[in-house]
Amino acid sequence: MTVAIRTTALTKRYGRHLALDDCTLAIPQGRIVGLVGPNGAGKSTLLGLMSGMVAPTSGSIEVLGRRPAAGAEQLSRVGFVAQDAPVYGRLTVAEHLVLGARLNPRWDDAFAVRRTRERGLDPGKKAGSLSGGQRAQLALTIAAAKRGELLVLDEPVAALDPLARRAFLRDLLDFVDELGVSVVLSSHLLGDVEQVCDHLVVLAGGRTELAGDVADLLGVHHRITRRPGEDLQLPAGAEVIHAETSGGESVMIVRSAQEPARSEPVDLEDVTLAYLTRATTAVPAAVTGAVR
Amino acid sequence: MTWLTWRQARAQLLVASVALAALAVYLVSLGGSIRRFYDERIAGCEGQACYLARWDLRAGFDDGVSVAMVLLLAVPGLIGVFWGAPLVAQELEQRTERLVWNQSITRRRWLAVKLLVVGLCGAAMSGLFSLLLTWSVSRYDQVVGGRFAALGFASRNLVPIGYALFAFVLGSVIGMVLRRTLPAMAVTLVVFAAVQLLVPTAVRQHLVPAVTTTVAVDAAVLNSGVGMRLNEDDTFDLQGYVAEGSWSLDFSAPLSKADGSSYTGEDAKPCLLPEDMAAGDACVVAQDLHFEYTHQPADRYWTFQWIELSMFVGLALVLAGFGFLWIRRL
Repeated sequence: MTVAIRTTALTKRYGRHLALDDCTLAIPQGRIVGLVGPNGAGKSTLLGLMSGMVAPTSGSIEVLGRRPAAGAEQLSRVGFVAQDAPVYGRLTVAEHLVLGARLNPRWDDAFAVRRTRERGLDPGKKAGSLSGGQRAQLALTIAAAKRGELLVLDEPVAALDPLARRAFLRDLLDFVDELGVSVVLSSHLLGDVEQVCDHLVVLAGGRTELAGDVADLLGVHHRITRRPGEDLQLPAGAEVIHAETSGGESVMIVRSAQEPARSEPVDLEDVTLAYLTRATTAVPAAVTGAVR
Repeated sequence: MTWLTWRQARAQLLVASVALAALAVYLVSLGGSIRRFYDERIAGCEGQACYLARWDLRAGFDDGVSVAMVLLLAVPGLIGVFWGAPLVAQELEQRTERLVWNQSITRRRWLAVKLLVVGLCGAAMSGLFSLLLTWSVSRYDQVVGGRFAALGFASRNLVPIGYALFAFVLGSVIGMVLRRTLPAMAVTLVVFAAVQLLVPTAVRQHLVPAVTTTVAVDAAVLNSGVGMRLNEDDTFDLQGYVAEGSWSLDFSAPLSKADGSSYTGEDAKPCLLPEDMAAGDACVVAQDLHFEYTHQPADRYWTFQWIELSMFVGLALVLAGFGFLWIRRL
């Protein structure tokens, strides 16, 4: 497995605020990575660190084997679209493509021109007068036409309406396939990334709660429903991530390599919510006591 | 990167070029008028007519020359405030740095190209303006003298280029540190104005050690518009002496007799002849007085121009160096 992004005890502090706390990750190459967490979880900070826009307070990060933004060569390998898709309001769409062509050695002009045409972006229009969705498309086109090996997208669909979100993500899948790049995209909504990502990282409060390939995550997490008075036998090494009791019945999300008895499969939302809830509230002692 | 820099600065460079062209027309016509006046009334003039013509030249062109000078003094400040301060601050404010710093170009390279292209344009505009003004008013300067005067020195020949470069980099760096355009513009204006006040009043005279010479009080000295002032301790000071083209650093100097002792009120009494000025002057000259004249000689004018140009270019380079360090922290 080739690692695209490796972080070791990565920490970023803004004054007294701890934006990212001791984050250790290894993300394989060739994945579409969904980075999910509530607002303020540290997603933008982590993506900023990947692109080299933000310098770590401590710990280290390597992207494609090198320090982010270590030089022009490293910059050319990573395409980054920051939150709100910044573009130059006074430059036209066509001028943005010239900008990309002038500043990137592997610029794919045919791709850029085709994509702006397909997305209905008028080349003569000033970027400042584009809609949020069109601006996101323009910024993404510039980042993609660089022909880097990794695309980092910070909340790419936040400014889009639900219909445009679906179209944007479907389109993203298409050209990721065409360009053969790894992608990291963040969202505070799991639903946005769920449809496209095959690797998931869940952040909460600046800490990594969960990270792994989606298939693996779905394989090791199980849902168990326990009715009142029932006995529960969990396999050795199993961990209850989250338990919810309603009407005497508890529903648990359990992490276990071995499948527990009477368990049901989970979906990504169950798992993500379980970890996010655990991150914000302590697991009720009564439930853990009853299980162990 | 040159393309992008040019594209972003296009509008402001165009405005500046139009303004400079308008100024050029004005300065060429001003220069023409001054030259015609000089050729008609001053070249080859004699005696009282000469004195009057010189007076009329000053009276006639003082305002026109002053306007151009003040404009040229303002140009570096304008470049610092309107080109320098927004250079990086505006990118940070509009968050477009997150777009451009993620192209295949390092921040330092990006900054270097921006500083070079826009900074050199600013320096060129300032230099061109200065060249035009220096040519335009050269006859006027020749008549009026005082090339070391604070405003005149700062608005002729080389130094405006240094001021422009310095103000531009100063504005850029302040913008980079403050990260907001308007406060950066205000702070740039204040800092640059402070430097422009401080240099002529407190710094320039110390750039080269001053020369002190002993000057004998002769008829020429007494006729050069000096005054003698009796101090409370009964000694005399000579005030307002300026040797041709030099920069006098002390307005008044104690008068001494030939033996080195102070010239006193008692000594001056025999020469107090209010009814016959010429006889009074001759009497003073006969007393063989002298004083110490502390100054920068006239032939140092270009030394000072070059030193000040180098000083401001050096300051600009130091500030730029700081900018290259700082931009990594943004």
